[in-house]
Amino acid sequence: MIHAVLIFNTSGVARLTKFYTPLHQSSQTLIPKIFSLICSRPATLCNFLDAPELEAFLGPKGEADERWRVVYRCYATLYFVFVVDGAESELGILDLIQVFVESLDRAFENVCELDLVFQFDEVHHILAEIIQGGLVLETNVEEIDNSVQLAAKLRKESFASANPLSLGTGVGGAGSRGGNLKTPLGWLTGKITGGRAM
Amino acid sequence: MWERTLQDLIRGLRANKKDESKFIAKAVDEIRKEIKSDDMELKAGAVLKLTYLDMLGYDMNWASFHVVEVMSSPRFHLKSVGYLAAVQSFDQETDVLMLTTNLLKKDMTSLPTDVSVALNGLSHIVTPDLARDLSPELITMLTHSRAHIRKRAILVLYKVMTKYPEVTPQAVAKLKDKLDDPDPGVVASTVNVLCELARRNPEDYLSLAPQLFHLLTTATNNWMLIKIVKLFGSLCPHEPRLVRKLQPPITDLISTTPAISLLYECVHTCIIGGMLQGSSGDSLARMCVSKLAAFIQDADQNLKYIALLALVKIVPSHPHLLAEYQDTILSSVNDQDISIRMRALDLVSAMVSPNNLQSIVQQVLSHLVSDTSSSTAPTAAQSLAQHTIPGSPTTTHISPSQSPAYRLVLSQRILNMCSQSMYENVTNFEWYLSVLVDLAHIANVDIGSQIRDQLVDVVGRVRGVRRYAVKLMYTLLCDDTMLHNARDEGSCSEVLWAAAWICGEYCSELSESQKLLPYLLQPEIVTLHPDIIAVYIQATSKIFGYWAAEIAQRWDDDDLQEAQSTVELILGRARQFVSSSDVEVQERAANTVQLFGFIQADLKAYKPKPADNPFSEASSSFDPIGGEPRFPKSLYLLQPLHEAYELNPVALTAQASVPIPDGLDLDAWIVPPPQEPVVAIEPDYEAKVRKIKKGKAKEVNGNKVKNGKKKHKEEGNGVVLITREPDDEIENAEERERVRRIAERRERLRDDPYYIMDDKPSTSKRVDDIDSIPVVRLDDMPSLAGIDDSRKLPSLKGDYSSPTSYVIDRDGEMPEGAVAPSPQIATPRTLSRQHTPTPISAFPQYEVEDEVRTSTPEPIQVTRTKKKTPGKKKRTKDSSVLPESSNP
Repeated sequence: MIHAVLIFNTSGVARLTKFYTPLHQSSQTLIPKIFSLICSRPATLCNFLDAPELEAFLGPKGEADERWRVVYRCYATLYFVFVVDGAESELGILDLIQVFVESLDRAFENVCELDLVFQFDEVHHILAEIIQGGLVLETNVEEIDNSVQLAAKLRKESFASANPLSLGTGVGGAGSRGGNLKTPLGWLTGKITGGRAM
Repeated sequence: MWERTLQDLIRGLRANKKDESKFIAKAVDEIRKEIKSDDMELKAGAVLKLTYLDMLGYDMNWASFHVVEVMSSPRFHLKSVGYLAAVQSFDQETDVLMLTTNLLKKDMTSLPTDVSVALNGLSHIVTPDLARDLSPELITMLTHSRAHIRKRAILVLYKVMTKYPEVTPQAVAKLKDKLDDPDPGVVASTVNVLCELARRNPEDYLSLAPQLFHLLTTATNNWMLIKIVKLFGSLCPHEPRLVRKLQPPITDLISTTPAISLLYECVHTCIIGGMLQGSSGDSLARMCVSKLAAFIQDADQNLKYIALLALVKIVPSHPHLLAEYQDTILSSVNDQDISIRMRALDLVSAMVSPNNLQSIVQQVLSHLVSDTSSSTAPTAAQSLAQHTIPGSPTTTHISPSQSPAYRLVLSQRILNMCSQSMYENVTNFEWYLSVLVDLAHIANVDIGSQIRDQLVDVVGRVRGVRRYAVKLMYTLLCDDTMLHNARDEGSCSEVLWAAAWICGEYCSELSESQKLLPYLLQPEIVTLHPDIIAVYIQATSKIFGYWAAEIAQRWDDDDLQEAQSTVELILGRARQFVSSSDVEVQERAANTVQLFGFIQADLKAYKPKPADNPFSEASSSFDPIGGEPRFPKSLYLLQPLHEAYELNPVALTAQASVPIPDGLDLDAWIVPPPQEPVVAIEPDYEAKVRKIKKGKAKEVNGNKVKNGKKKHKEEGNGVVLITREPDDEIENAEERERVRRIAERRERLRDDPYYIMDDKPSTSKRVDDIDSIPVVRLDDMPSLAGIDDSRKLPSLKGDYSSPTSYVIDRDGEMPEGAVAPSPQIATPRTLSRQHTPTPISAFPQYEVEDEVRTSTPEPIQVTRTKKKTPGKKKRTKDSSVLPESSNP
């Protein structure tokens, strides 16, 4: 089973944290620890993080349990980190990270870090179409994309029906792709469309 | 009014990086206002902002009720926000989860989109209560018309089963049907859930094997195949027939599949599923190992990693297959990737044998060396590794060998590899000792105590290595560097404990033992840990004792000078420690000072005799005629104190195997407990005792002490009551006197602010008790105080339930306890002195060496604490020199 999905950037700032299993230690100490270990690893090394420093966190929890593994991949400025146990295939998880990133890419059209920053709720919705409660729900990018699009459309409609006068796209300005926020211009459109005059 | 949206918040955060906490405090204040608003949109916006802040580590538990409010919104876009917040912030203890049962029920019968949001949310927040209440709905939902919902329901069901196991039989029966679902995604989800379930209780899912086997041979989806293969990996160890059935299709998959992940899982399942046993398994094992070996040599580091992972599991059954790849595997220990190193270390430690131990350990040791001391030239492999990654971030990042955690792992690995199975793989103990000393010098992590234990254990068990050990330890003690760094972290100064102890205990192996004394007594040792200082002092005394006896043997009056100065030196140093703040050091120093003071006085009083009788020197050190030795007698003072007994390792079960002498009844009371007359005399006494016991069981701090005291008093009273029965008249007079005094005392204390008056009636009784005890005993029966005490003893010690603990103790000594002892390494603590000639030697297999040693070192033998029957144990040492020693 998958115990956690984390996304943080190359400076260690968390962009998404999702824990499917409650942690014994605080996530706020774990993420910097994992980050400091991962960021010092050159790209040529393997995608599995195994360090004595993590032993307390990853080590076997019970008799039958295998140790947890940290599988990560780096895309541009972001690290995608999955924490999984022995029921998951190590190489399979690497593929799953790829599936996740492809799904993000479809939903955001050329996804970049800022998409994740400003639409963190949308990222959660996409992840929820791939993994549910730590188990893989769907691995086909097409299927995932369809579900994501459908849910996004429904949210948009629901928002529009509740706020007939609004140009915005969802709660707190977030939602599906309303304002393109990658560029300063996008920021401006976000400013114009995102706010709601009361 | 212009509310901040989530995006405004994020922008604000980015703009206020310097003053983030202030900005967030302000934002949270706003959120607190907005979240109470009647406007659902505003409330949801506030919840969403909180969810974002939650990710940054700010608490949002206070808002959980508002989260439920947003979840219950009929509008889909708001409901999604609510569920997202719930998923991110709720845990099993969140109390508002009780409120969500009906909400979830409603959402699960709503529009398909609501259902999927609810199912996704439920899979995170499910509690045992929710699981129980919602499982009927979930099970009906397995037949939902939409595949998407069916998939989600199946996955939620797994979570529900973990929280509410009672539903499992019903749910598994339904899941079985889902293996035939027309939608491949649903089947994959079912396999996924079954794979998780089978990892916990494989036996329960063996009945699914035929269906799964069918899927294995027909499915084409690699994701699902991986899971099926994994599932079989859990099932196989529990059903041998399955192994035979699976071998052909799995072998087929291994040779045909283009997907490396699937190939790897097949190989992995073969290994953990026990498919490599037997004649047919052998070729499969060969195939698996060759595939994995190809992975190790692959340029892709990921393949290397997982190959090492799988090879660790194949070592126990097929070590011979790996021998061929030993060099490749060893080179992986040098990999610049710490993940690979860790796994390679695992593998290498599993592969250790007497033939390769030295080379492996030396290689691991070299990792520790190369980084600490830059002066040593890097090996070819290391310099090569440094050149292969030019210009990469490696130049800035710390080499893995320098991380303390990794160094600790390396050091522990070395110790474990060598000491496992009672030094099974060590063939040369002189080598091992030097490895230990080297490790102490270079480890630079806190492993000194483990090295110390190893040193003492090895020297205690391996007689043949003692001479070398003493020499080695001598140099260690003479070396200042360790002493100087003793205060540093990771200095491993504990090794000096072992060094001093070994030199002291086995000083007979030293050629000029007295030369070590100045080192043991140098002033710098004050920086050491008190435990080590204590051993230093003790070792000093042992060495002097041996040396003094030695010079007494060949006494020459010229030695007097040296002996005197040595005693002077020891006394001078030991006196400094007499006032040590550590009790152990203080006591040993005080002992030493007294003993050496005696020796000093004797040496002073000694008058050299004219050496007119050359024979006495040659024949015996004692003058047979005069009865007076030629040397100062006190030179023989210390030696017998230290060398009367030999120190041997004791089997863990030795104590338990001591036969109980005839006529010893361990059940009999040593001191019979007082009868319980108290009950008869004082009716409410028993009740009180019960109360006290209860208090004791609770172990409430403070209360316990108080209760103990109370009990003491009351039991005292009980005893007193019996004893004073005959003296009724005195008693009556006394009673009146006591009552009067109590009243006086209470009067006095009434206005005293430092006393809290208790109005409960029991208080007077307690006070009553205080007064009664000493008075009665002193007045009535001074001569019987001893008896009185002894009667009270068992009750003073504790409650009457204590005899049960005796029973446990006795069981420990039963011979049954010795039937199946686990062989373990004795730590220094388990070494204990045994009288050499006693027949009950715990270590019959111990090799006894001849006194005469040849110049070439003899083969070193390990003794092993083995299972021993009590009968064997009683054999004398000499009668059992060889048969049981298990020399690898």
